[in-house]
Amino acid sequence: MKRVIGVAIAMLSTAGCNTPLTRPASPPSSMTVEQLAAAVAADARRSDLETDSKIRDQLAADAIQNAQACLQRAPQAAACLYYDGIALGLKARAHPLQANEALKSMLSALSSAEAADPKYDQAGPARVKALVLIKAPEWPLGPGDPEAGLAAARRAAELGPDYPPNVLALAEALAKTGDTQGAVDTYRRARDVIQGLPPSRDRDDWQHEADQALRKVSAPH
Amino acid sequence: MSTLTLAALATLVFCAPGYPGGAGDAQPYVDQFAKAAAASAGWKPDSLAAIYDPTDQGSLAKLGDPDSVLAFMPYAFYVQHAAALHLSPLAQVDVVGVGTQERWTLVGKAGGPVTGAGSMMGYTILSVAGYAPEFVKQSALAAWAPLPADLKIEATGQILSALRRVASGEPVLALLDQTQAAALVTLPFAAQLKTLTQSTPLPVALITVVDSRLPDARAKAFQAALVKLNATKGGAEMLGSLKLKGFVLPQLPGNAGKP
Repeated sequence: MKRVIGVAIAMLSTAGCNTPLTRPASPPSSMTVEQLAAAVAADARRSDLETDSKIRDQLAADAIQNAQACLQRAPQAAACLYYDGIALGLKARAHPLQANEALKSMLSALSSAEAADPKYDQAGPARVKALVLIKAPEWPLGPGDPEAGLAAARRAAELGPDYPPNVLALAEALAKTGDTQGAVDTYRRARDVIQGLPPSRDRDDWQHEADQALRKVSAPH
Repeated sequence: MSTLTLAALATLVFCAPGYPGGAGDAQPYVDQFAKAAAASAGWKPDSLAAIYDPTDQGSLAKLGDPDSVLAFMPYAFYVQHAAALHLSPLAQVDVVGVGTQERWTLVGKAGGPVTGAGSMMGYTILSVAGYAPEFVKQSALAAWAPLPADLKIEATGQILSALRRVASGEPVLALLDQTQAAALVTLPFAAQLKTLTQSTPLPVALITVVDSRLPDARAKAFQAALVKLNATKGGAEMLGSLKLKGFVLPQLPGNAGKP
């Protein structure tokens, strides 16, 4: 899930990650589209690390408010559409009983974001869409559709071939749709891309994910 | 096996091949089920353990353990393995949104050449129940028996992909459970599909005794406990977490599980 919502890292404020959460309040009208998008990204990052379901619920509510405020300011902006999708993903996780509807809305928002700017956040709309499609429960139980997920992952990897999460998403989609060798090759390519990056926490996380997935997909069944 | 020994070792195996979810996701829910069912039967606390397996082969391996005295299974699994494993039905499952019985639907390409068993030569049937070819042949498609000798039957967890293959004209057919068949109209390519045949109503799932490993008296007590489980305190809520409404006494078709 980290790659789903661990986006726009550069936009995050570390202060935001350490601030105790209280009841979500409407964002100030002075906040810009960029600040609102960053606020949703911060909520997503915190939610990713949070184990308390009540706090995840609050983070989802806060993210939804920020995304809505963003959309009110710029309804067609890729950033607002994209982070509306991310916020809906947090809502789906916080409220499993409403997850299907939230995931459908999330996919719709991500499609709009991709139409507005497919390169936003290193091809984020297609990448996140791919991950939702390959991880969500499949038809008729949910909006999951591994083949459509693979197509979205290919789009993301074409737009951002050197961004490790795009390559990792493609590898995961290949594994999900039964192309084991393609997945192995793509995870290896992801490792190559990752090893060419300067040291960082993200690099370590991506490396760990690639190694773990490669072991899993290479294991005899 | 003495009652004392049984009280400490009995295991209920949830056999769930073809259905979504991993063992880790399901385990807390089946643990709750075992606890509630044991309490309803008046068994000692913790005398019944539960274990979940999402694969056919994994389920079979677990049922080979002498401690596996009870099993929860789709009807397809029962038909496939009842004779070999000496499965004795105790109760029939009432599933939320489905009921105690369901019809299976064979779907082909609209305007395609398949109109009956005679025109299925060279085709492959894809289904979540594909791990149980005896079920497909004897139960779900009993109306079209005998099926062609070269007909292939394969298991798939990706029924949407299977339906796309059907719609594109590949020599495949999809055998759908009731939930899947009811949702066909939601597909954007629904007009390219047609229903070829439908089964009579068949049980959805069963709880059985495995290989007479549970003494008759305890089996009867457990059966009675299952039937009243949804009326016990917290029972309906616990069953709801497994998408179950309750249990009824088994009413199987005449040929079910015969070798």
